[in-house]
Amino acid sequence: MWLPAVVVPVVIGVGVLAVPLTAGAAVDLPDKTPAEVLELAQTADVSAFSGTIEQSSDLGLPDLSSLGSIGGSGSAGGSADAAASGTDISSALELLTGSHTARVFVDGTDARLQVLDSLAERDVVATPDGVWIYDSEGASATHITAPADGDSDAKKAPDAADIPTPSAVATELLTKLDPSTEVSVGTDATVAGRTVYELILTPRASDTLVGSVSIDVDSATGLPLGVAVLAAGSDEPAFSIAFTELSLDAPDAALFDFTPPSGTTVTEQELPDSDRFADHGDVAAPERDGAEPTVIGTGWSSIVEIAASEVPAELADSPLLDTAAQAVDGGRVISTTLLSVLFTDDGRILAGAVPPAALEDAAAGR
Amino acid sequence: MFSSLLLSELRILFSRRRTVALLVALAAIPILIAVAIRLASSPGTGRGPAFLDQVTQNGLFVGVSALVVAIPLFLPLTVGVVAGDTIAGEASHGTLRYLLVAPAGRARLLVVKYLGAAAFCIAAALTVVIAGTLIGAALFPVGPVTVLSGTTIDVGEALLRFLAIAGYVAVSLLGLSAIGLFFSTLTNVPVGAMAATISFSVASQILDALPQTEWLHPWLFSHYWFSFADILRDPVSWASFGDNALLQAGYIAVFGALAFGRFLTKDILA
Repeated sequence: MWLPAVVVPVVIGVGVLAVPLTAGAAVDLPDKTPAEVLELAQTADVSAFSGTIEQSSDLGLPDLSSLGSIGGSGSAGGSADAAASGTDISSALELLTGSHTARVFVDGTDARLQVLDSLAERDVVATPDGVWIYDSEGASATHITAPADGDSDAKKAPDAADIPTPSAVATELLTKLDPSTEVSVGTDATVAGRTVYELILTPRASDTLVGSVSIDVDSATGLPLGVAVLAAGSDEPAFSIAFTELSLDAPDAALFDFTPPSGTTVTEQELPDSDRFADHGDVAAPERDGAEPTVIGTGWSSIVEIAASEVPAELADSPLLDTAAQAVDGGRVISTTLLSVLFTDDGRILAGAVPPAALEDAAAGR
Repeated sequence: MFSSLLLSELRILFSRRRTVALLVALAAIPILIAVAIRLASSPGTGRGPAFLDQVTQNGLFVGVSALVVAIPLFLPLTVGVVAGDTIAGEASHGTLRYLLVAPAGRARLLVVKYLGAAAFCIAAALTVVIAGTLIGAALFPVGPVTVLSGTTIDVGEALLRFLAIAGYVAVSLLGLSAIGLFFSTLTNVPVGAMAATISFSVASQILDALPQTEWLHPWLFSHYWFSFADILRDPVSWASFGDNALLQAGYIAVFGALAFGRFLTKDILA
């Protein structure tokens, strides 16, 4: 009589263990050289797809999601721009911890990203006419359009290519490929039910925190389906983004036609041209105008330096920073398994995929 | 034979004063919410459970906000009471012996008892959604519904989706019902089985909230409870519905088999 009570958990356990094994075991693709897989990925021509993405980060940072609201309310008294960038900072930090599920729909120059939060959703709809960012929790929408006067100094409006799909992340990595990287082919696998080649990029330099980057390239279309970044000396990815479901059919065109629902707070935002921020002296323009950040060094161990005048004031005062940063000589440093960020006492920010000591050296001009 | 046994079980369950009281208590949740919001003069501040601040613009959201309130405690509580009572209640009344005198068989009685508890899950979820929709329509304006993705759907489709949400929530509670059925076979004291079932639901939700037990989260029966909101996306995301149904089926299989083993080997003295 107790037989079912023994058999059922065993059957379920075997099923849970065996299903991923059989899915992974059957993959044996014709061998390709790294150059051939690279070419396959770079010549991928998939303009329409939809799917579900899983993104997870394990950077060794404390979980900051509960502090997100503090970052937002801290700047609530300021102007709309300040509040907006305060929210940007906390949501950017939130993306660095924990995991997220999102759905993505892409058709040519139209793209839509839906971040599936619990009982809420954040949407980004990018079309050639502009970008809508919708947040169901705050019932707020932001409409970003390029300036109408066609100022040539204005930055290009974000478009479909800026939606962070695994393929967009991989393409970004592959375009920056240079001789400082060793390229090899790993084991064939299955991602989102499709067979993939695994392209492994390993930095030749040893002074970077990045151990290797693996890119799953769809064997049929060349579309990158997943990217995983491993920290040096670690077997578990510190950052990964991959499709769990993918369809190559064109998504419903109505998805790209976003109208803010009634009751939504809509912020119209024209992309700034160079003189826009001159009007409000109290609001520092976050990385949008003025001097470009300086890049020190090359390849994987390069360090980005942002001058003090370009750093938004509310970033340095953010309570998030106090929680995550540690005091070091000459500033505060946030150290993760993949990335270090140094906030110097004179207001500069230095960041790179290098150990904190390398940032301190660079900050001191050594 | 089986269907008549099931029918009589359902008739006894839903005519019992306690069952009716539980359903009335569940219906009171959306009514309390709606009346409180109607009486409060200030508009919502954006705090409180999800969907609550939308109620003043659209009464149809009362049912969904009531579900958000009811899912962590009230629904598991009522399900725990009904499922914990299934076998232990009969045993404590001394009626279990008579039920088994009829050529019903213990296995069949167990299945009938579980189906009764499952029927209560459906009734409980429907009660919250229907009472919420009715009171919302009575006290607030009703109009096209804005789903989480920012798209607007008409009232008819919204009602269909709310029905699907009630179905989702009912399925979510089936695993807990199976756990309650198993506990109910362990004891002749119904209150013990009820308390154990409800504690299990609380423990599962606590574990689900702890980041340290993240590896365990997809295996907890309460893990997908709040994913009913996936039905309010555009397009509807059915993935969590499937994952949830599979997970609950696993719990039904494991705890059903345990209850089967226990009940068929049990000495029935009462």
